[in-house]
Amino acid sequence: MKKLILCLAFGLIALYSGAQNRFFTKDAKINFNSSTPLEDIVAESNQATTFMDIEKNEVVFSVLTTSFKFRRALMEEHFNENYMESAKFPKAKFSGKIVSPVDWKSERPVIVDVKGQLTMHGVTKEVTLKAQITPGKMKISASAELKVTPEDFSISIPSAVRDKIAKEVTIKIDATYAPYQQ
Amino acid sequence: MTSKKTVRIILWIFLIGLIAAFASIYYVFNMPRRNLSKEKAVYTLDAKQLIAEFKKDETSATAKYLDKAIEVSGEIKSIRTLDNHSLVFSLEDEMEGVSCTVDSADVVRNSTELKQFIKGTIGSFKGRCTGMLMDIQVINCVPE
Repeated sequence: MKKLILCLAFGLIALYSGAQNRFFTKDAKINFNSSTPLEDIVAESNQATTFMDIEKNEVVFSVLTTSFKFRRALMEEHFNENYMESAKFPKAKFSGKIVSPVDWKSERPVIVDVKGQLTMHGVTKEVTLKAQITPGKMKISASAELKVTPEDFSISIPSAVRDKIAKEVTIKIDATYAPYQQ
Repeated sequence: MTSKKTVRIILWIFLIGLIAAFASIYYVFNMPRRNLSKEKAVYTLDAKQLIAEFKKDETSATAKYLDKAIEVSGEIKSIRTLDNHSLVFSLEDEMEGVSCTVDSADVVRNSTELKQFIKGTIGSFKGRCTGMLMDIQVINCVPE
């Protein structure tokens, strides 16, 4: 009996010391808004995969461009065929580092700076964004917002419709991470 | 008299043309969304085979399956509900398998069929393949 308790205790300690430092979710939300007074253009994907490593303060996001849903089927077609060229560049990716200090043991939300590379449409750009992170033992929530200019990613928009699409597209990210078990 | 008649005919043709043009613009602009339940699957295959193809050569598998209607079946390893009430069925492997997303409207429409899809059973879905991240994603799924 004593042995059993000891075993259990050690087991628990082993479990605890192997504390999670990798968190992930496959259902992160990414939406973007490039509305102008002429046209409402919003799209959302619920299928972004993201990892967060709280030991190295690293975060990676990737999303399939064809998973974005628009209000109109026609917008979806234009987005995938003319702008993002999803057949050629099926993924968008961000990989970055949280550069502000985060106390992962507290469960209070903090605003941090994240620096990293955003790749879409085959072009990689250095970006810095602000994110809000709420740490937790079993769950970490994060949200962020960034603005991108389509032309920076060599996405050319015909002049006939240029006025209907915002010069800067606002991208919003919302993720709830769970511990990652291998 | 005849010239008046010709003018009238021309005017009518012009008007009909205009209506047709507006109707087609209206249709294209409000083009209906793809309805996977009415589409015939281009490829019908086992989840294991799909995974193997993507693992072997992601680029060519993406080119082959991207945006195509596919029917895929495999063992259901997990079922998750998203915030928007869509259901995600992971086939063969929770992390690196095939994730089939059934939109909330289709969940309601196919609730009796979906009730039979429980963990450990074989599920079969028809949907649109959007490529691979860690898992291969198939969206707008309907149970088959």
